[in-house]
Amino acid sequence: MNLFTRFSANKKTTPAVELPAAGVYHFLRQTPEEKSRLHLRIDQDGSGLLIINANRVFQLNPTAAAMMYLALNEIPEDQASKKLYKQFNAPKSAIAKDYADIQHQLTALISNEVCPICELDLETTMPFSSRPSAPYRMDLAITYRCNNACAHCYNARSRNYPELSTEDWIKILDRLWKIGIPHIVFTGGEPTLRDDLPDLIRHAEQNGQITGINTNGRKLKDKAYLQSLIDAGLDHVQITFESHLPEIHDLMVGHNGAWQETLEGLKNVLDSSLYLMTNTTMLTHNQASIPETLEFLGNLGLKTVGLNALIYSGRGAKVGTGLSEKELEPLLESAQKITSKYQQRLIWYTPTQYCNFDPVNLGLGVKGCTAALYNMCIEPDGAVIPCQSYYQSVGNLLQTSWEEIWDNDLCVSLRERHGLPEKCNDCTLLSECGGGCPLAAQMN
Amino acid sequence: MRFLRYACVLLILVLLAGSVTPVYAQDYRFQVPDQAVVVYINTDGSINIDYTITFQNDPGAHAIDIVDIGLPNYQYELRNISADINGTAITKITNSDVVSPGISLYLQGDEIPAGGTGTVHAYIQNVKEVIYPGTQTESEPYASLVFSPNWYDSAYCHGTTNYQATLLLPAGIKDGEARYFVPQNWPSSDPPESKITNEGRIYYTWVSSQANSYTQYKFGASFPARYLADGAVVQKPYVPPTSSGSNKVNFNLNNLCPFIFCLGFAGFFVLIVYSATIGAKKRKLKYLPPKILLEGHGVKRGLTSVEAAVLMEQPMDKIFTMILFGLLKKNAAEVLNKDPLDIKSADPLPAGLYGYETDFLTAFAEKASAPRRKLLQTMMVNLIKSVGEKMKGFSRKETIAFYEDIMKRAWSQVESAATPEVKAQVYEEVMDWTMLDKKYEDRTQNVFSGPVIIPAPTWWWRYDPTFARPVAPISTAGGSVAPSIPSSGGRTVSMPTLPGSAFAASVVGSVSNFSSKVLGGLSGFTGGVTNVTNPPPPPSTYRSSGGGGGGGHSCACACACAGCACACAGGGR
Repeated sequence: MNLFTRFSANKKTTPAVELPAAGVYHFLRQTPEEKSRLHLRIDQDGSGLLIINANRVFQLNPTAAAMMYLALNEIPEDQASKKLYKQFNAPKSAIAKDYADIQHQLTALISNEVCPICELDLETTMPFSSRPSAPYRMDLAITYRCNNACAHCYNARSRNYPELSTEDWIKILDRLWKIGIPHIVFTGGEPTLRDDLPDLIRHAEQNGQITGINTNGRKLKDKAYLQSLIDAGLDHVQITFESHLPEIHDLMVGHNGAWQETLEGLKNVLDSSLYLMTNTTMLTHNQASIPETLEFLGNLGLKTVGLNALIYSGRGAKVGTGLSEKELEPLLESAQKITSKYQQRLIWYTPTQYCNFDPVNLGLGVKGCTAALYNMCIEPDGAVIPCQSYYQSVGNLLQTSWEEIWDNDLCVSLRERHGLPEKCNDCTLLSECGGGCPLAAQMN
Repeated sequence: MRFLRYACVLLILVLLAGSVTPVYAQDYRFQVPDQAVVVYINTDGSINIDYTITFQNDPGAHAIDIVDIGLPNYQYELRNISADINGTAITKITNSDVVSPGISLYLQGDEIPAGGTGTVHAYIQNVKEVIYPGTQTESEPYASLVFSPNWYDSAYCHGTTNYQATLLLPAGIKDGEARYFVPQNWPSSDPPESKITNEGRIYYTWVSSQANSYTQYKFGASFPARYLADGAVVQKPYVPPTSSGSNKVNFNLNNLCPFIFCLGFAGFFVLIVYSATIGAKKRKLKYLPPKILLEGHGVKRGLTSVEAAVLMEQPMDKIFTMILFGLLKKNAAEVLNKDPLDIKSADPLPAGLYGYETDFLTAFAEKASAPRRKLLQTMMVNLIKSVGEKMKGFSRKETIAFYEDIMKRAWSQVESAATPEVKAQVYEEVMDWTMLDKKYEDRTQNVFSGPVIIPAPTWWWRYDPTFARPVAPISTAGGSVAPSIPSSGGRTVSMPTLPGSAFAASVVGSVSNFSSKVLGGLSGFTGGVTNVTNPPPPPSTYRSSGGGGGGGHSCACACACAGCACACAGGGR
């Protein structure tokens, strides 16, 4: 062995600790008590996002992103510090201490038993102030076919809208993973009408993506079918449940007997390991029965319920059964009391103008439009639209570069909240409110 | 012996010529999809080296801002080097501090960003003293060159390279006189392409698409030394260059042995590693402490002016004064005596008082000054903690800006009022917000400066025991005629009056009175509070899972759900 080969051999014994290139990385942390799925998205500039179970998002500066990557790979402190010392111009002791802190913070964040703000003392930024390189979640409207016929449906397309093949959807899933999108929601139309739904779920899960479906739940009455989705790796389900009264539910969804099937599906999911939530659209039809509907769901054992107002798109734009923003407050106050009684989590979806309805004052959290910011949607033919209800294509994912899609004028306009009413300009609540749902604003 | 010596020289030259070039610090990560190098052997024994290197920078990697190229020795001059990046001339070319001997090409405004691609072209002319005597047995003296093109540490460079290396021999060499060496480490066993150019120069070109740029390849050729000028072949033994640039070490050639040369090789190698380390350190990223951010709830609205004052860390005597004025305005208390301050609570108390207000009144029910101070400290501690709780999850900076804006608007209303009477009325309505202003004393006195008479606030008599209680219709103690101003209900009431300047002085003076007469000195009082609200930081431990009551799920400041992926999940079907 000469000197050169000896040096090379020694070099090869150094542990292979590498810092991450741009992309998304998936980690599974499992304890006897719980399972956590984590995604670390590293952007081109080295900054990152840590997404825990697809619903808690933390922004990382480049140092934190590098450290988080090593911590997620469970690289021991000495090796990580050594690697980081080569990367950054700082004393080894400072790097080692910071890395230890990141390790502790990661453990605490995963446990979700430590408040990130008051106990970990993490800094907060204003809502909707992030400018990610891609959304956190992509909704895939894999079909516009539906076995219900809701009069208030936001779908503006034909039920016979052209659909991509399974292979193309798989290409899309792969592309989304490459772009760094860790969360996929299959929607429609009614996504369970696509026979290949289990295959698509399976492929996304194999990529490392978290998957969910938004469904009317009717097909889930078939336990074998539900099991096929579970076996494919499905993580969560959202079922539309309009009323505890069959006649109101069936009236709203335009199909006699739908309520019974939906309820059966809902109960089947409740009996499974899937994370389940319902969604109820508050309209003039079910306005009066909302409290009893929530009581009904509470008694079923639902842990999470969602409420939203009419979306002014598709048939929803003309149906005329929507409630004004000012009518929402008493309903939601009542909903809060009921869900609190059943120790449920209440999710309020609809972005409103805070001058009409302020969700923060009601304790519902900050709600604003996140289209083309944290979420987007892909139509059955591969066209990308800002959200499930905003039917204006910004490019086809199979044909258009992601940069063109993301930086499309419409996307930028929505993200940067251009074209808001003049009254919003001086409003101190603008940063949170964002002017409400752009579709509702257009209607007005 | 001579053969061995030349063999060592050749070996050294192999390493010297190519020199390990860890061009980039650890954060650099790139591929070299294409590299072409042409070495022109000049008749004077110098060589010209022509590199064309395409870099494909990794996404997320450090931008390629400097390209270092190792050179065989220090026998080159910077003025003989030109380079460009994507056709744009590189104007800053220096000796490299990363690899010695070698040069640094500063890409400056044309750096290759993460994910980007760029082609660097470098032309280095007249590198001297690189041709050594051949080592093979030939019928005449041969000159030999072994050249290792630039390569990079595999820590930075990965992927395959479409590689092309060419040695262009001096003109005039006849077919059959030139030799090529089988390249070392080269992925192809194919013979090089070899032809004679129009200028009569034989060249050897090795091509492979399976090569890479992190392996050292060695290409070589030899040819009759007579095709070079006299003295072009280096006859002295190889001496490793040092980073100082000097390789003029006095060796007694006759005493040298291969072992010494090998030591030189080792030293050379260590030197390269050393200089690379230093260079890497110089190019390390600036360390910004790791920071984790999350989107909060934004602005915390609905704070009272007193709570906003706490958030804005206003002096405590001012905060107490604000509480006092608030109680007086609500008809919840009456000042019995200003010096020493004595307050009587209303009985019954009006509904809707804040906790800090009732605590304040409780404190003033205690007549002894020391226990009262203690109670006021407790009240302030609780108030600060309460504001802290309310602010959990909300942006402190944005919230302060929000309340500063309210304060500015309040002042704007006061200052834009047309008459002293209206000014006074507006001031009474918004004075708690104006007090958030750090300059509120000056501004209050400015607003009410001059010989103006203003209607006294309706509660003023509760603040000033000397001021007459209003009796409708009201007249002032001085008997002046009360101005009539419209009340909020549209009725007209008569109000007692007082000089504006006196009013302002009394409002402003109330704070200092509080500080000196009640709190017994602000700093001591404040210290007693902040020792509780801002204790020394605890050790950086984290609550273990399951410890403590509640758990994170019930924490009010958990995920604001704005930045969450669950935002607007598309219900509504």
